[in-house]
Amino acid sequence: MDLYVAALGFGLISVSVIAIAAVGFTMQFGITNMINLAYGEVMMVSGYAAFYVNRAGVNIWVSMIAGALAGAVLSFLLNRFLYAPFQRKGTNLIGMVIVSLAASLMIANVMLAIVGYYSASYVVDQGPLVRSNGLVLTTAQIAIIVVAVILMLAIHLLLRYTRLGKAMRATAANPTLARNCGIPTQRVIDVVWLITGALCGVAGVVAGMNSENFTVSSGAGYLIEIIAAAVLGGAGQPYGAMIGALIIGMLTELSAAAIAPEYKEVVAFGILVLVMVLRPQGLLAKRGALAAAG
Amino acid sequence: MRGYLPFKVVSAVGAILLLAACGGGSSSNAGLGSGPLLVGVLAPFSGADASFGPRYLAGCYAAALSINGAGGIGGRQVSCQQFDTRGEPADAVPAANAMIASNSNLMGAVGCTSDEASTVVPILDRSHIPMFCMTGQSEFNKTSAKYFHRLVPPDSFDAYAMIGSALFGPNHAPYKRIALVFGDDIGSQNFVGPAVAALKKLGVTIAINQAIHLGAASYRTEVAAMLLTHPDVILTETIGSAGTYMKEVKQQNGGNVIPFIGTSATIDPVWFQQVVDAIGMTDFLANYTAVDLRLSLSGAGYDEFVTQLTAADSKFGGSNALTYKGKSPTVHLYDGIILTALAMVAANSSDPTVYNPKIFDIANGVSGATVVNTFQDGVAALKAGKSIRYVGAAGENNFNQWNNSQQGYNLVTMDKDGNEQVIGQLSEAQTQQIIDAGGNA
Repeated sequence: MDLYVAALGFGLISVSVIAIAAVGFTMQFGITNMINLAYGEVMMVSGYAAFYVNRAGVNIWVSMIAGALAGAVLSFLLNRFLYAPFQRKGTNLIGMVIVSLAASLMIANVMLAIVGYYSASYVVDQGPLVRSNGLVLTTAQIAIIVVAVILMLAIHLLLRYTRLGKAMRATAANPTLARNCGIPTQRVIDVVWLITGALCGVAGVVAGMNSENFTVSSGAGYLIEIIAAAVLGGAGQPYGAMIGALIIGMLTELSAAAIAPEYKEVVAFGILVLVMVLRPQGLLAKRGALAAAG
Repeated sequence: MRGYLPFKVVSAVGAILLLAACGGGSSSNAGLGSGPLLVGVLAPFSGADASFGPRYLAGCYAAALSINGAGGIGGRQVSCQQFDTRGEPADAVPAANAMIASNSNLMGAVGCTSDEASTVVPILDRSHIPMFCMTGQSEFNKTSAKYFHRLVPPDSFDAYAMIGSALFGPNHAPYKRIALVFGDDIGSQNFVGPAVAALKKLGVTIAINQAIHLGAASYRTEVAAMLLTHPDVILTETIGSAGTYMKEVKQQNGGNVIPFIGTSATIDPVWFQQVVDAIGMTDFLANYTAVDLRLSLSGAGYDEFVTQLTAADSKFGGSNALTYKGKSPTVHLYDGIILTALAMVAANSSDPTVYNPKIFDIANGVSGATVVNTFQDGVAALKAGKSIRYVGAAGENNFNQWNNSQQGYNLVTMDKDGNEQVIGQLSEAQTQQIIDAGGNA
């Protein structure tokens, strides 16, 4: 029984990491209509940016800001100079997916040439172990959970109670109408890439902290769970991505305790497939923050 | 009409001669030909096993420098090119096909790890490409692939050596409860079956047998489950994920690391750095041991290897090729390429159907053969009309009828700089006891 309680606690950390990443990923799709398969690589660029700052003697939590900045800037540039020109030419969604796949390969290989294939590891003070009713977490892990909660709340407040959030939702619902109503949609999209890029950057750093070691190729592995959470929750729906992250994160840990660990992702994705069969639009489609009005 | 027929015959003969001349490089006994030669390093350079490729490439660079420095193979210079399999069979097949299709000057291939050997060995064999593979899969113990060569033992023997280390290793009493923690990839899982069979036969308790998903973001639950079984030692190969796993062991076990014994693949600078970063140098040095192939790492052959590896260092762009100077894959594949080159010179042919059998002869030596330790000495002896036996950087090789060669195991650890340190050896009797228990398929 202790193992299952411990797995629940461990699941909270996985949920936190996936949620930060999946919300950024799904917002990119929901608002800019872009399935960005380079998301995992942007996470790793951010992770390495924070790594070099951290290795220069800066605290990991401060280094995380460098990661967020790197993610924001790279995502903004990716959109401005790669994705947007293709979208302006009318490239369809599948074509854009291929463009983003090409971007991911280019980023990964450039990174490999720069940072090499050695793994990177942050200097993190894990702090004392916190034990409670079978839960065993380090202080740093609890801090990751807190960071995730703060970011999710911030996204909620942004989307629900700010002019920018309303502009994002309007752009997501109908960009042409939004533009005709005087919303500067291009600027909104730029801001979306900066914000989601920052989320991607933070996700890269917490994923690296969570895994202890990371390499250039880690991004591809992270992306699978991110996409799964986003799709499960309803593509383009931030709240859906949070719920998707909760389900995927918890199921992977609990199935590792209940079944052989090599099947933990099989179980999680098996349930994803089941949900997709029963509700192809995802759990929160048409109900999330970016849903079309009416 | 009568006058026209001889002209047709002469034309036909002329055309045949012309064709023969053009295809000289691939016909039997047609000499060593001209132009550069290529060795393909067909291995993972990305993905979870990305650290494998560079250590093979280091061996190739050193071998190419040694050959080229001695004038090449009949004047033909050798170069190395990497073909990334990503450690996945699905990616390995197009990589192998591309390597063969785009390089008519391919003299051999090295790499082919357990990740991809099952898919690429048949392709290379069909194309008559001599290969030196680092796979440990038992399916190659008695392979019918004539162009396959292996200078390392099957993984089952690595597993037996690890058990030997757990039972007979220095500085500890025999471990009684053993945890098996291996990646869920093909290469890592090759160890599990033989280890389980041997441990059961020997009456040793298997505390837990975990196959962990390589590349997962964390292994907290897996580690919690493993710790509940209270093992004395962990036998492991989880390339790419070892740091994550061992860090969580330390975290959840009150800051204490359980002794862990790695396969020969863990004796690697990338793996070393990853695990040291995760658990700290003190805990690493106190708890890590591994098994490795018994290499001579001395003598003229090894000296030449180190000299050329040093010269190859600049090609590694800061990654320091010299970190591979004691690594068995680097040393063995270096020897494999030198053997292939000497076989070409001995056969005076660039046709692999002609020089491939010579690899066996030069490795094992025929009666009265002159022992040579370098490519240069080998060429000189061959030019003097002698038959040769190449005893290279790793020492003697003895191929069996399936082109498998092996030299036994050392029990090792690594020092604070990541250099391998031999701490013991398994006696013949100890080794045989475990092999008998596990079986030699």
